[in-house]
Amino acid sequence: MQAELRKWRSTFEVSWTNHLAYRLNFILLVFGPALVFFFIKYNLWKSIYSMPGITVLQGYDFEQMLQYQLLVLIVSLMAQGHNSMKLADDIRLGRISSYLIYPFSFFKFHTASFLAFQGIQVLICSFTICFLMITPLVTFSDFNSVVRGLFFASLVSFLWFQLQFLVGLLAFWLEETWILRVILQTTAQFLSGAILPLEFYPEMFVKFLDYTPFPYLTYIPIKIFQGDSINLVNASLILLFWSLLVYTINHLLFKRGVRLYTAAGM
Amino acid sequence: MLRTIKKYSRVYRHFVSTSIALGTSFRLHFVLLILMDLLFYFSSLASVSFIFDHVNQIGPWQRTEFMFFVCFMLAVDHLHMTFVSESFWELSNQIRTGSLDFVLLKPIGTVFHAFLRFIRPASALNIVVTWGLLIYYGQAIGIVWWQWILMPLLMTLSLTLLVTMEILVSCTMFLTIESFGINFLRMQLQQLARWPDFVYRIWARRILTFGLPVLLVGSAPVHWLLSPFEFKSMGFMFLAIIIMWVIIAPVWKLALNRYESASS
Repeated sequence: MQAELRKWRSTFEVSWTNHLAYRLNFILLVFGPALVFFFIKYNLWKSIYSMPGITVLQGYDFEQMLQYQLLVLIVSLMAQGHNSMKLADDIRLGRISSYLIYPFSFFKFHTASFLAFQGIQVLICSFTICFLMITPLVTFSDFNSVVRGLFFASLVSFLWFQLQFLVGLLAFWLEETWILRVILQTTAQFLSGAILPLEFYPEMFVKFLDYTPFPYLTYIPIKIFQGDSINLVNASLILLFWSLLVYTINHLLFKRGVRLYTAAGM
Repeated sequence: MLRTIKKYSRVYRHFVSTSIALGTSFRLHFVLLILMDLLFYFSSLASVSFIFDHVNQIGPWQRTEFMFFVCFMLAVDHLHMTFVSESFWELSNQIRTGSLDFVLLKPIGTVFHAFLRFIRPASALNIVVTWGLLIYYGQAIGIVWWQWILMPLLMTLSLTLLVTMEILVSCTMFLTIESFGINFLRMQLQQLARWPDFVYRIWARRILTFGLPVLLVGSAPVHWLLSPFEFKSMGFMFLAIIIMWVIIAPVWKLALNRYESASS
């Protein structure tokens, strides 16, 4: 058990260092897009709410909309920053041969690496939340909501990791997986309420979305942060169901994919 | 001059034919690229449409004008995806691995080779969708025949301005070891340009029009199409393109001086 923990810790430490080795690159990859996304939406909603006669839209006044968009920033940083680029490269360039002989599996290695990434993200998010709490931009209903929100966003990050892992594993069959990563990102952004609150979508469309994991990626975590009456246990169980489903698919895909693996470059 | 144009046309023809050969080698990849673009078009249009389900107007524009702007930007984005996008991603890779050496050794302009080498044939097919949407919304706002004739020129100008700014941003790739993130910075310029200038607050609008003229990419030509006797923004656009083109050569030279030719 201790030996196993040591492997996890070592991988975590190495990955932490790797992620922060090129700090500018890390900021541009993870922080930059989320900030620009927020900047655009702030300007857009400000111009909409400055129109005469518009004070409340679908239950959101400007302050509430701004708060929603700031929470999108937090949730996307906390839960949707990770990508499977390295994983896909490992497969494509034949680097997984090492994992096949190491006493630490491919899945465990990438999970430890994800945890290191997540550790950095939690730090960034905590600083952002502290900053927002001392400004009048966001008012959290109570501290409990922040804790519940952070907990749920962490669960979301695991589902996101599983989805990214799934995309990365497709490198066994595809020459390039970046297109699938972009497709996942675009679809998730559009369907999860990251661009607009789901109240702005047509009713039938939202009903359909209820049967998918997408609202759980952004909309539900925000509602939890805002202290709305969302059943945390139910929401967590649904998220767990989707995570387990994707995990199982990943497990099966890896087993099949390894059979096709040609160890390119060996 | 004519000989140079002929020479570069010949080289570009080879770029196109090799890119088609490469792009069509992996069929699923080819189909997925088309799907990716279509999804992006759909989400961009649907987001704006959903907002207009609840408001009548944003700034001075109603739904059709706004949708026309989005379609114009999608058409510019389509050209960008087809003709230049891939080369920017390749450049960061070439700088990191040192394979830019081979580009520098060739007897043609390095800017030409570095930024126009790769073409995405799959994205080219989406022209039917982007122009179909543009024509639909263009007719809805009453674009007249001579404006349609000028449309390809306006798009070329928009693309030129966007690409020149991106080339300047990409020069910073030479200052970093891992320059992949610079491409994300470049993509943020595109994100900013996808919304009309009037949605931005006054200070942001000034900076993004006169400092880093990213808002001129879409807003200048669309404002001109909507009010053809208003030349101011188009004038700024021409000026911005000229200034940018003038500074590209020295900045690119400076950037190349920082190139370390990794692994050579």
